[in-house]
Amino acid sequence: MNRLIQNEMMKLIAKKRLVVIALIIGVLVILFTYAQYKQVETQREKLGTSDWRTTLQQQIVDTTNRLSSSRISDEWKKQLQISLQQQQYYLDHDINPSEPGAPTFIRIFLESSIDLFIPLMVMVIASDLVSSEHSLGSIKLLLTRPVKRWKVLLSKYITLCLAISLIIAIAGVLSYLISGVVFGYKGWGAPILTGFNVTDTGLNTSEVKLLSQWKFLLMDFGLVWFVAIVVGTLSFMLSVLIRSTAAGMGVMLAALISGAILNNMVSSWESAKYFFMVNLRLTDYMKGTAPPIEGMNLSFSMMVLIIWWIAALVVSFIAFTKKDVY
Amino acid sequence: MNKNTIRSITVVAALFCLIWLLGLGWAVGEYYAGQPEKVPTTKLVNEKIENKKGITIVALGDSLTRGTGDETGKGYVGVLMDEIKEKTKRPVQLTNLGINGQRSDQLRKQVQQTEVGRQIKKADLVLVTIGGNDLFRGGQGLEDFATEDIAAIEKDYLDNLKFIFDQIRKNNSNANVFFIGLYNPFIELDQGKEMSKVVRHWNYDSAEISAAYPKIVFVPTFDLFELKVNDYLYSDKFHPNSKGYRLIAERVASLLTW
Repeated sequence: MNRLIQNEMMKLIAKKRLVVIALIIGVLVILFTYAQYKQVETQREKLGTSDWRTTLQQQIVDTTNRLSSSRISDEWKKQLQISLQQQQYYLDHDINPSEPGAPTFIRIFLESSIDLFIPLMVMVIASDLVSSEHSLGSIKLLLTRPVKRWKVLLSKYITLCLAISLIIAIAGVLSYLISGVVFGYKGWGAPILTGFNVTDTGLNTSEVKLLSQWKFLLMDFGLVWFVAIVVGTLSFMLSVLIRSTAAGMGVMLAALISGAILNNMVSSWESAKYFFMVNLRLTDYMKGTAPPIEGMNLSFSMMVLIIWWIAALVVSFIAFTKKDVY
Repeated sequence: MNKNTIRSITVVAALFCLIWLLGLGWAVGEYYAGQPEKVPTTKLVNEKIENKKGITIVALGDSLTRGTGDETGKGYVGVLMDEIKEKTKRPVQLTNLGINGQRSDQLRKQVQQTEVGRQIKKADLVLVTIGGNDLFRGGQGLEDFATEDIAAIEKDYLDNLKFIFDQIRKNNSNANVFFIGLYNPFIELDQGKEMSKVVRHWNYDSAEISAAYPKIVFVPTFDLFELKVNDYLYSDKFHPNSKGYRLIAERVASLLTW
């Protein structure tokens, strides 16, 4: 088994996929860093101060004014109200919600890339793990060895999990190093609030907890990793089922993008919450924003994802062991 | 391909895999755990006032402060700020806390917030507009201004105003405070004359209250809009337009002393 994994790992590294992914992440992080730097800069210019309390107070007033407009939808109104209450809570407790520094950047980066960007990177590796063996013809060589088929597939799957872990790590390290140049490398100990409960009546703050940023980040990383594993497993399944890598990738891509779109409009279609792609934004639960559909919470989303994950695993192993290879 | 590199990459990957798994477990645990750490609630407002270079303006109040109706989006506060910038050649920092539709009881709550208090503390100049929504209530004021209710509403408004001024003075005994009076947007309507009477009455009482405090100046705007009111009103026939805001700003600007 160990040998098999080593072998798969060697193939993966020889393909230089990880390097490509690292490059993509690097370029994007540079872009985001610059964008955020610009944003902070314009805000400072506009308000004439870099005092975060003033900025936050101004944001609160601005949001209040947007709420008073009659033209916004109820959905959006609720979202705004929740973020308003949250901002006020931060202000009342004298905690800066976005302490400047690289760790905060990582947090924002993770939160915004969890449902599309990181899964895409994972797909780059997962979607041709099996199907490329078909297209290269090497699958026959692999299967003629005196090893059980499920072992071959398992070794591939373990390699995928390892690669995903590496991708998440690369994203973390790169965003820390690059954004630190601009924002500074400090801020691991900055306090952050979690445990906001979104209820029908608004925001419940009775269970709010104070965490250090590094703890919060570790949790975020864990959630991102979990999402990446599930998405990776799904595209792994497609790679087993569909011989064409492009087709498998297309299906997965369509699913992910539809998830991003659905997230904005499913609130009235309740059964949509059983799709895996509307459940990807796990970090939002830690942050305490309103879920896309009423009644969704962390355990629900994780349950849905786990079920999809198990189903994908079962399907891929059955399909791979039963498949005729010619 | 070196075998050792592959092995070490595998080991590193496995290590990260474990760390992320740990993070995941922790996240789930933390999400459902009770509340171990208490959020500090007794944090005092940062007393240290940052060393300022320019002039700090804090604007409180309703849509007039916000600048609703001004196509340029500045409102009288923005116009005034530009003017001060030009005159003094110093950087001006503006914190506009105006909220559309705000009534005096809401402003009363707002000025009690710690952060708002801190902003007032820092200010060199405080601008206030309030009362318009108490009196007109989106046009409803036109119907019941003659009834007895209006007296009760005015009493509440004056109480709130006193409280607001108290709060401002408590936080900052130095800054000049300009309280912008009411104008009558309905002056050309049928009941305009009677409405004007009520507005004048409110303005008079507000001015009396302002006069009881040091350095709180009541700035009348009633006369500005008395003739040709429609030239200075936005299409909602309630808020001033750019020209109207400019009038108010100029009046306040002429009162400034350095």
